[in-house]
Amino acid sequence: MLSFENVSKSYKLQGVRKTILSNFTFAFPEGRNIGIMGRNGAGKSTMVRLMAGTEPPDTGAVYRTSRVSWPLGFAGGFNGSMTGIENIRFVSRIYGQDTEKVIAYVTEFAELGASLRLPIKTYSNGMRARLAFGLSMAIDFDVYLIDEITAVGDQNFKKKSQAVFKDKLARSQIIMVSHSASTIRQYCDCGLLLDRGEVRFYDDVSDLLAAYKEAAS
Amino acid sequence: MKLVSSSELIKLQLRVIASLVLRETRATFGTSTFGYVWAIITPAAGVGLLVFLFSLVGRQPPFGSSLALFFATGILTLQFFTELSSKLMTVFDANRALLTYPVIKDVDTVIARSLLVSATYLMIMVVFYGALYILDLAPLPAQPEIVLLAYFATALLGIGFGTLNAVITSLWETWAQIEKVLTRPLFFISGVFYLASNLPPQARDTIYWNPVLHLIECFREGFYPNYNSSVLNILYPISLGAGMLLFALLGERVFRKVRY
Repeated sequence: MLSFENVSKSYKLQGVRKTILSNFTFAFPEGRNIGIMGRNGAGKSTMVRLMAGTEPPDTGAVYRTSRVSWPLGFAGGFNGSMTGIENIRFVSRIYGQDTEKVIAYVTEFAELGASLRLPIKTYSNGMRARLAFGLSMAIDFDVYLIDEITAVGDQNFKKKSQAVFKDKLARSQIIMVSHSASTIRQYCDCGLLLDRGEVRFYDDVSDLLAAYKEAAS
Repeated sequence: MKLVSSSELIKLQLRVIASLVLRETRATFGTSTFGYVWAIITPAAGVGLLVFLFSLVGRQPPFGSSLALFFATGILTLQFFTELSSKLMTVFDANRALLTYPVIKDVDTVIARSLLVSATYLMIMVVFYGALYILDLAPLPAQPEIVLLAYFATALLGIGFGTLNAVITSLWETWAQIEKVLTRPLFFISGVFYLASNLPPQARDTIYWNPVLHLIECFREGFYPNYNSSVLNILYPISLGAGMLLFALLGERVFRKVRY
């Protein structure tokens, strides 16, 4: 279960208060893949961080009983002076996973070879992203939070990523932020639209896309 | 509304803290050849050198027969305290990137760092005092339980002060510089190289308010059979440490939203 109860969140930037959510109550429907859309600065990423629990709400509460991932799609949280293997170990430890199994999976998946034994600071952006993606796929979450994930790697790697992702979708739920109508249509069947401090739920993904198009224009 | 059982949450927290301790050990000591051994050798060698220099100039120990023991109880205790306070001061900033993993909370990073520094200093003290005993420079502690009490009191005061510093620094960065200035004189007013009981009453009454002095006095009370400190009141640093820790944790909770 993942639900928001009377959640308010706003930011104050240089004296200007920007409201992202005010008294928002919503239970994310289980077993469905949810897209989150909205214009730049509407608060999509903040919403994902609230769901993950990396940011606290101003008032209200976020409840989660299922295993919710960290917001995927960034390569933060890695320690640059530690090697790939050491970073993998750390993350699998905090999530209580079998460390060796996770290492084996990521080694296989990310195709980083001997680089896994080098410090992360020597990695290119692409290598980092592959490591981050492989690692998140190695851990079984009930809900995957995806913030604007961009495809990484060559054709071959993209194909592999999509295959794993499809496989995950059979057992887990995804909540995805994207500007791309085709990505949302491909993965999601319902969604939320963030527009000027208001949040609306659309039970059908076509309605969501139509409303997004109108709001964005 | 309660959704996840408490035992599960405790298990999660222990797991996170253990992982953080391992990660921090690796990040701090892992890059050099002998790794963690340096963490113990460096401060021990520093104290050793100081003792050696003082004995060269022919200084007599202010108390007892061992110059090394007298200095070690002073310097190691002060170092333990300042190490906790300075390492904790930066704890929120240093671990910012980790907070992208929602299972890790700020307080976990504070606990992990406190554990690592405390465990390291326990090792340093065991090695150093053990070496003094083996080299016949000091006897075994007369009252080991008092030494243990002094160790825990130092840890508590350091963790309390350090966490408070971390919270203040996260709200007001300049505090980090001010703290450095404020704690600099500790070396001179904590009885590191003199006997507080022998000071004139006026000076003694002034430095009495320095909690670190009581910690050092407590270590010596435990090591020497007849130290009979006239200033020692161990309840003072203990209650001050506990008070600061509670106040710091309250501040962490109240100002949590400001830090994000």
